[in-house]
Amino acid sequence: MGPGAASELGDGGDRRGRLFELPPELAIDADVARRVMVGFIRNQLRQAGFSRGLLGLSGGIDSALVAFLVAEAVGPESLLCVLMPYRTSSPESVDHARLVIDRLGCAGDLVDISPIVDGYFGRDGEAGAGGAEAHEAASLRRGNFMARTRMCVLYDRSVPWGGLVVGTGNKTEALIGYSTLFGDSACAFNPIGDLYKSQVRQVAAAMEVPEEIIRKAPSADLWPGQTDEVEAGFSYPELDRLLFWMIDKRRTDEELLAMGFPEAEIARVKRLVAVSEFKRQVPPVAKLGPRTTGVDYLYPRRRPGSARP
Amino acid sequence: MKPLRIALAQLAPRLGLLDDNLARHRELLAAARIGGANLVVFPELGLTGYQLQDLAAEVAIPADDPRLAGLARDAGDMSAIVSFVEEAADHRLFISAALLEDGAVRFVHRKLFLPTYGLFDERRFFAAGDRLRTVESRLGVRLGIAVCEDFWHLAVPETLALDGAQMLVNVSSSPGRDLAAVHEVGLGTAASWRTLMRTYAQLTTSFVVFCNRVGTDETISFWGGSEVIAPSGEALFTAPLFDEGLYFVDIELGDVRRERIGLPLLRDERPELHLRELRRILAERTDMAIDQASEAPDGPAARPPGTGPATDGPETA
Repeated sequence: MGPGAASELGDGGDRRGRLFELPPELAIDADVARRVMVGFIRNQLRQAGFSRGLLGLSGGIDSALVAFLVAEAVGPESLLCVLMPYRTSSPESVDHARLVIDRLGCAGDLVDISPIVDGYFGRDGEAGAGGAEAHEAASLRRGNFMARTRMCVLYDRSVPWGGLVVGTGNKTEALIGYSTLFGDSACAFNPIGDLYKSQVRQVAAAMEVPEEIIRKAPSADLWPGQTDEVEAGFSYPELDRLLFWMIDKRRTDEELLAMGFPEAEIARVKRLVAVSEFKRQVPPVAKLGPRTTGVDYLYPRRRPGSARP
Repeated sequence: MKPLRIALAQLAPRLGLLDDNLARHRELLAAARIGGANLVVFPELGLTGYQLQDLAAEVAIPADDPRLAGLARDAGDMSAIVSFVEEAADHRLFISAALLEDGAVRFVHRKLFLPTYGLFDERRFFAAGDRLRTVESRLGVRLGIAVCEDFWHLAVPETLALDGAQMLVNVSSSPGRDLAAVHEVGLGTAASWRTLMRTYAQLTTSFVVFCNRVGTDETISFWGGSEVIAPSGEALFTAPLFDEGLYFVDIELGDVRRERIGLPLLRDERPELHLRELRRILAERTDMAIDQASEAPDGPAARPPGTGPATDGPETA
């Protein structure tokens, strides 16, 4: 969608050559970003009275990077990675997740969510708890259900582990709404939510996340063969560039057009951003009393007394 | 002349925990004394944390609060600058910085400019100060104290220098952001601040002391990078980004005289010219407002700024 001329190959780690495409305007100082995110994780946990974190490790780059960051922040012994494949998930995803766990030396836990999901939608012509209608559900509904099932598992596991759920969603998917509300977006805090996908790759390369994870096509892995870029019809470097100029740099449609972004893509991405506003905000509460939470009762989340004793 | 030893307390305050932060200040004052410091500078809202929102009223203290006087006593024969939420007698809340000397609160500066844009929401919770004065320190140096955003307005360092400041002290809670690789040290905020501080030191031929906090409040990570800049604009010391610590810097107060003899910018300042033009500008702004009210059909465009009658400017007096 964006003009190819302005995109250059970024370097994804000097020693290992170029792993991914990095639009130059999105290049960040990976060391500073890493420093901020590691400090953020450490402080979020400490201020909440926790020393441990856990996350859903999909085998993709986002959760792999967060696992590396949490391990650096609080030590691998304080990190639990939970693998939650469905029976149609790519076996490669589990392999890549195990690669991360082996590299970090953190705790790993595998929960097959197939019986939970199949218990609702049914399987092999047999209806499940959701009834005959749910048995015919399209893949989008199943995908959302899987994402929310994983959320349930993570929050359950957080109790015996005694840790907080660390978010793994990036800025690109948050802005276009490529996430499941109360599913993969559910977390106690998110260290990478202000990094575009291209920047996630940059920091992942700097932290030496395994190359095969950085190289592979991003996928929600909700059904076989699914990839983000095919499903949404964009390439991440192009989408990241457009979002960066549109949102971070406040360029108008006219200015974006003059920069070479196609009109149809500008309109489409603007629509995706607007239509997913609800996913990025706390649900509104009807204002009735003198002080209403989130409106005129405004306390920091980590206020005194808020930490687990 | 014996060098002046400055201790920069680049700490991470605990949000809303006044007693914990008071204890931390006492610890650092003790460490600074052992380190031979003459002046200890703590960051903006070091006693309370920054992202207070409705907690501001709960941690507010008056400037004559015994806990501040206690800190002043703990400072002993050192001078210290600490920052807190000040509740005035009329219950307005200010972001204040106090100079503690000789066991007492010697001077209080109330933050003048409250950023309320982007990630900032200060005006919602705080009142803006309305006095800009320097203070003669017992250290033999005249101080101009400012808080964070105050330094993003040119008139502040200029006025302080004209009022006799030889050392400009800025205490900050500056959130790190804009992580583009093109910036010096990879952080846009740090690059901007460094430009400002070197420029102010050079233009006012004064020392600039910057103490910025570290740590995390909610989503914000504060970047530290506290500095001391010589009157020549040269950075004498730059603290690490993001690391908590007590950093000592020795300065020669004689550098102010040397710089001002060699580069007499302050001698050549023309405050009367500045004042005359400021009066004119203010008068014209007033004219515009009057025009808008009294000549609504034409609108302000019918009378461009500068063409209205001067009212009380010295030029017509």
